[in-house]
Amino acid sequence: MSQVDVRPAFSLRFLRSELRLIAVRRRNQAGLAALAAVPIVLAIAMKVAAPGTGERRGGGPDFFAQILGNGFFVALAALGAELTLFLPIAIAMLAGDAVAGEANQGTLRYLLTVPVGRVRLLAVKYAGIVAGAFLAPLVVAGTGIIAGLILFGGGDVTTLSGTQIGFGEALLRLLGVCLYLGLCLAALGAVGLFLSTLTEQPMGATIALAMLSVASAVLGQVPQLDWLHPYLLTQHWTDFGEFLRDPVSLGALRPGVLVALSYMVVFLSAAWARFAGKDITS
Amino acid sequence: MSVFKSRPALRWLVPTAAAVVVIGGGAAAGTIVASADPTLEPRSAAQLLVDLQSAKVDGFSGTVVQTADLGLPSLPGVTGGANGAELMNLVAGSNTARVWYAGDDKVRLALMSKLGETDVIRNGSDVWLWRSAQNQAAHYSIPAGRQHERPATTLPQGVPSTPQEAADAALAAIDPTTQVTTTGAAKVAGRDAYELVLQPRDTASLIGQVRLAIDGEKHIPLGVDVYAKDATKPAVRIAFQQISFDTPDAEQFAFKAPPGTEVTEQNSADADKGPISKTPIGKGPLGKGPLGKAPTDKAPEGTKVVGKGWTSVLVAKLPQESAKGSERAQLDAVTGALPEVSGAWGKGRLLQSNLFSALLTDDGRVLVGAVAPEKLYEAAGK
Repeated sequence: MSQVDVRPAFSLRFLRSELRLIAVRRRNQAGLAALAAVPIVLAIAMKVAAPGTGERRGGGPDFFAQILGNGFFVALAALGAELTLFLPIAIAMLAGDAVAGEANQGTLRYLLTVPVGRVRLLAVKYAGIVAGAFLAPLVVAGTGIIAGLILFGGGDVTTLSGTQIGFGEALLRLLGVCLYLGLCLAALGAVGLFLSTLTEQPMGATIALAMLSVASAVLGQVPQLDWLHPYLLTQHWTDFGEFLRDPVSLGALRPGVLVALSYMVVFLSAAWARFAGKDITS
Repeated sequence: MSVFKSRPALRWLVPTAAAVVVIGGGAAAGTIVASADPTLEPRSAAQLLVDLQSAKVDGFSGTVVQTADLGLPSLPGVTGGANGAELMNLVAGSNTARVWYAGDDKVRLALMSKLGETDVIRNGSDVWLWRSAQNQAAHYSIPAGRQHERPATTLPQGVPSTPQEAADAALAAIDPTTQVTTTGAAKVAGRDAYELVLQPRDTASLIGQVRLAIDGEKHIPLGVDVYAKDATKPAVRIAFQQISFDTPDAEQFAFKAPPGTEVTEQNSADADKGPISKTPIGKGPLGKGPLGKAPTDKAPEGTKVVGKGWTSVLVAKLPQESAKGSERAQLDAVTGALPEVSGAWGKGRLLQSNLFSALLTDDGRVLVGAVAPEKLYEAAGK
């Protein structure tokens, strides 16, 4: 076992191979393309429908109406639109594949015959999910910015507080939005990883996670359950709007970050408890 | 780790413990704040009142949270919809506002909502109202002579304004009807504070106590709690969640309507009846003054006050043609959901909450007061 100790705790090679595995899967590529298609479709639809919507003033909470004035808002509107369903489904797909997918294909056994500890396997699988969680919002925002700039142009961006910031600073804030959403989605991925260790059917884990995420969002809309709201994973996702206020108050993001970290701690340790003691039969 | 190896079931203790700590920590976070142990020297109510009046701060900024749990029945059309959500939040939920203050002529209040913001900014003689959801800005100029007046009239009634303002409303209610005491110091926004307790002498009032927290050092109000009778949790609470006494930068108060914005110019004479006073939130029960705010002398005809002090009942005539079309239908849907009551005084519908009752009679009167429904019936019979 001395060889085991010499090996670095976290080998980049294993992570790289996992990331490559995720990247070359056709369904993941298709999923990413679908995520990227939403802002493009949205921007084109707004451009085509522009004369009609011009009469209906009022930005609404979803940034849609501001798109006409500045392409920057395509990215925000797309993120807002995809946040309730598309992005969670993307994470659910990755999470389902992570452990249950390997088990389903019968490759989990072989993975573990290589001298790879189960904790390390779990860590690498989660790292793959986290990479996806941060990549997905960046892809949506990036495509949104490009589509928006082409169709509507850029310029100074109006914040929620009614002040104006330069396009460069706006891009930085958009990066902040993406990182915040990445953290939120990574927490969802932790739940997904746990679900993935429970079953050998990747579809089961994927659907369960997507349903959990939607159920959490629905519960968050019910005013009678307000005692439950602070504990819901999805409750603070729309707090990403804090980045668009002037001045930005990072303190306002604390509840969302705390909830995300709490979910990670609980469900990653649950995934470990389940996976480390599990009999791998396939 | 060897324990976990020999007895895999024990592993489950880890996530279980983590869940308990996280959930328990979340629940405890609220209570720790309450059990503070400040060491302020005792001060009488009168001293505190003087402190309040003479309080002078150069500037501060902070976050104000307003929560309300009025125990209202759920109403169709009020619980849903964009405007409805705004209204609903005010009576059964929480609102967060950020406040910047650098002297009386530099004030900014930003009311937060999900992916939206409503700002009221005063900078010298300019007052701006900005609503991000509507992409609208309104500009008011205060004539030079009136510059030193408080901009209070331009603030929407009933929205969680600064604790300073809420406290003023409570103080206005102090008269022989009220028992004023001070209690052991409280802790608000991490600062030691005195508490001034106003208790109605008239036990018929639904209001149990109004508690005003006053900063121990700076003497400005940090929060107001309104308790219903026999309640242990405040029905309405407006308090700083976080406050800093550094004077905010001048740029916080600089506002220029962004391009593409609908800007309405208003002179200050119109300000009192500007678009703000039409907002649905202005009609919230808070604006009606459970704190005993006296009706203004501009009150429309047919409006009178029955009773005195904490148990006074406001009787007003409903404008017949004010609402039309869909608004009317929405209003009917709401009133239709209220329980029907009748008596010697006639027939009507009753809205009851922890802090106030409202009666809409079929002959077009509306009675509101911080009293039990029986008092309203009594007033309706007069």
